[in-house]
Amino acid sequence: MEGNSVVKFLRKYMMLIAMVIVMIAFSFITNGKTLLPMNITNLISQNAYVYVLGTGMLLCILTGGNIDLSVGSVVCLAGGVGAIIMDKNIPWPIAVVAMLVMGLLVGLWHGFWIAYVKVPPFIATLVGMLAFRGLANIIMQGYAYGIDNKGFLDVFGGGATCYVPDFLAKVGPDLEFGGYTLNKTCMIFAVLAAVGYVIFTFYNRTRLIAKGYKVDSLAAVIIKSVLIFAVIIWFGYKLACYNGIPTVLLWIALVLGIFAYITTKTTLGRNLYAVGGNEKATRLSGIDTRKVMFSAYTLMGVLSGFAGILNIARLAGSTPTYGVGYEMDAIAACFIGGASAYGGTGSVGGVIIGATLCGIINQGMIIADTPVNYQKVVKGLVLIIAVLFDVIMQMRRKGAKKKTEAANAEKGGAKA
Amino acid sequence: MNDFSMKDVLKKNIMTIALFVVYFLFVFLALIFKGTNMLDPSNVASLIEQNAYVFILGTGMLMCMLTGGNIDLSVGSVVCFAGAVVGLFSVENQLLNEWFGKWEEQILENGDTVRVLIEPAKPLSTPMVLLVAFGIGILYGAVLGFLIAYVRIPPWIATLAGYLSFRGLGTQVLAKASATNAISNFPTSLTGIFTGKLFPTPWGVANVPCIMLGVAGVAAIVLINVLGRISRVKKGYSTEPVWFLIIKCVLLSGLVMAIATLLSLDGGIPKVLLWILGVLIIYGIITEKTTIGRHFMTVGGNAEATRLSGINNKLILFAAYLNMSILTVIASLVVAARFGSANSYAGQEFELDAIAACIVGGVSAYGGSGTVIGMVVGAALIGVINQGMSLVGVDQDWIKIVKGLVILAAVVFEIMSKKGKGVKK
Repeated sequence: MEGNSVVKFLRKYMMLIAMVIVMIAFSFITNGKTLLPMNITNLISQNAYVYVLGTGMLLCILTGGNIDLSVGSVVCLAGGVGAIIMDKNIPWPIAVVAMLVMGLLVGLWHGFWIAYVKVPPFIATLVGMLAFRGLANIIMQGYAYGIDNKGFLDVFGGGATCYVPDFLAKVGPDLEFGGYTLNKTCMIFAVLAAVGYVIFTFYNRTRLIAKGYKVDSLAAVIIKSVLIFAVIIWFGYKLACYNGIPTVLLWIALVLGIFAYITTKTTLGRNLYAVGGNEKATRLSGIDTRKVMFSAYTLMGVLSGFAGILNIARLAGSTPTYGVGYEMDAIAACFIGGASAYGGTGSVGGVIIGATLCGIINQGMIIADTPVNYQKVVKGLVLIIAVLFDVIMQMRRKGAKKKTEAANAEKGGAKA
Repeated sequence: MNDFSMKDVLKKNIMTIALFVVYFLFVFLALIFKGTNMLDPSNVASLIEQNAYVFILGTGMLMCMLTGGNIDLSVGSVVCFAGAVVGLFSVENQLLNEWFGKWEEQILENGDTVRVLIEPAKPLSTPMVLLVAFGIGILYGAVLGFLIAYVRIPPWIATLAGYLSFRGLGTQVLAKASATNAISNFPTSLTGIFTGKLFPTPWGVANVPCIMLGVAGVAAIVLINVLGRISRVKKGYSTEPVWFLIIKCVLLSGLVMAIATLLSLDGGIPKVLLWILGVLIIYGIITEKTTIGRHFMTVGGNAEATRLSGINNKLILFAAYLNMSILTVIASLVVAARFGSANSYAGQEFELDAIAACIVGGVSAYGGSGTVIGMVVGAALIGVINQGMSLVGVDQDWIKIVKGLVILAAVVFEIMSKKGKGVKK
């Protein structure tokens, strides 16, 4: 039994373990370059769009392995609209609203065709991929637009000042550790987040016990909490060594927080899982499955718009070629993070792990001077391996179920 | 028994009618706005040559879609990769020299050693190159088919991985082989198989073999229609009236002869047309007349029922993807031969064109129904829109949008017409 629980633990945290292994491997290959504070910070800002789009893609995948191939084009379209508006010296909040509305409109368009007309999602979004890329080119007339709107860049984390200022720099003595002067605000945030995580975990556990649910053993929970506590502190320390909290991290945290809440605590969230698990049963139990699908694609649209904002902010400009291949990154993040290709399982936490793992691999390969072309090959292989893992796990589960069913039937037969 | 109605005929052939309407609309627009004649022999020939890959890939995609709306997103990248490999082995280049050339260490005056190429590697002969290309296609198709059919990885994920990987691999091969990221000057022994005209004659002189092919086509049309009718009557099926049969034959024959005449004025039969016709006829027969062809449709129609009636579903799915990648290699050869070169942009968005041809041609996005002829009409329609819009001078970006909307409209049309049927029942 003991061995079995270890296997279970390994299986549950497979991708987390893989992430750590990959991280260590790359730090060896690159002589520790990947673990430099600057590169850890870049990991976040370069992959901001993967976290945001991955979250949206998760909603679509949950409803039954449906995907959105158009997100790259939508990121480009929304970004283009925003850049043009700011180019005309219109206040940036209007541009932000316009980009979100652009995403919303695209989401409504896809949602309508997919949920109400029943156009297969891959075709509807393939059309979107073509059409919105074309539209973006038409709107931007093939030109690249630079963005020098300081307000916008400060808020969404672009340019050189994309960090949360160190409010506490002048309070008390300088914090120094490991040869770096630490950013105090960042360190305090990290400690708060880590402590908050631990408190939340134990609060949740006692609540579940009170309700009579089965929970993991105390030892397992403590090990897990200590590990995650350590990771958060380490991560915070690395950021603090550089310039502190990247502004974009706040936005990512906000999006991830909101959607973690939606998927786990709201009716809409549970409905997404239900539709993906068994659409017919869900419909027959009185849930409007069309509405659920419609919401998933609408939210995906809005998030694409938001990713467009982050994208043009980071690059301080917009060109008609932005966003090519983003859909692949988002889809890969979901699958690596354990979302099922058949729908019904997956979590925002998984997307975080998947996106981070993708990011580490991408960045590691860039720092290790891997040719861009091989990077594509590796990405494809990682995608296949992640899905293969999911599919094999599912087959095993089904096999185990059949075995127990057969055993039960035999028992019944013996009794009779 | 005889429930023949003109309305049904129109409904059934709506895309064919749309094709002609759109074609002549563009002929008209091109003449008015740009003064170009789309009916010009060279324009007709280039319509075929430019879209050759769509017909070939569309056929493969059709077989995949029949099995349940499954698609292959990797065809464009495989076209690029296969083209790169063909170039690698058929033209002298850096990578080939690196691998197979004879090198010698020479000591310079200042004592440094340099590797010097003393004998460049010999490119493979054309048959060997073709063997390598098809070998790659079969290998990839078998792996893909295995993953999809036996491991049950959803097709779009497996092919998405191929889409990423093969574009990367193809580009890498080209980057290593040449400083310009492209291999050009393919040997004529290779390009000659897929490009140029059969028995060419100078421009404007009627080409006899071409006319003869047209006549043979007409004979085939008449024969198939008459024999088909006779066999239907014998079996007691409902048939169309004789006058309709005659009109149909006359219209089709007229079309075939018109195309043949135009092509004969442009120098003869494009060789690539023979490849297209070969593929279309073979797959037309497979899907319409053979048991295996019917199995593709039953798997797409109702996979569970098919499996229970003793058909090996997995084998069919495997065959669909194996077949797709073999056809992809043919398409890649056609494309590489047309340009006489391989570059890293080859094959971009080919998957979209192939899927679009199928969807517009009435192939069900859920699997189970679709015909080669329908796909041909769809491919032709997309080709006409492409050529027409660029001749009229419409921007590439607008062409993208229009193409997208045409695909969407075709799917919605299919879904709507199915809904109508459901209500009637």
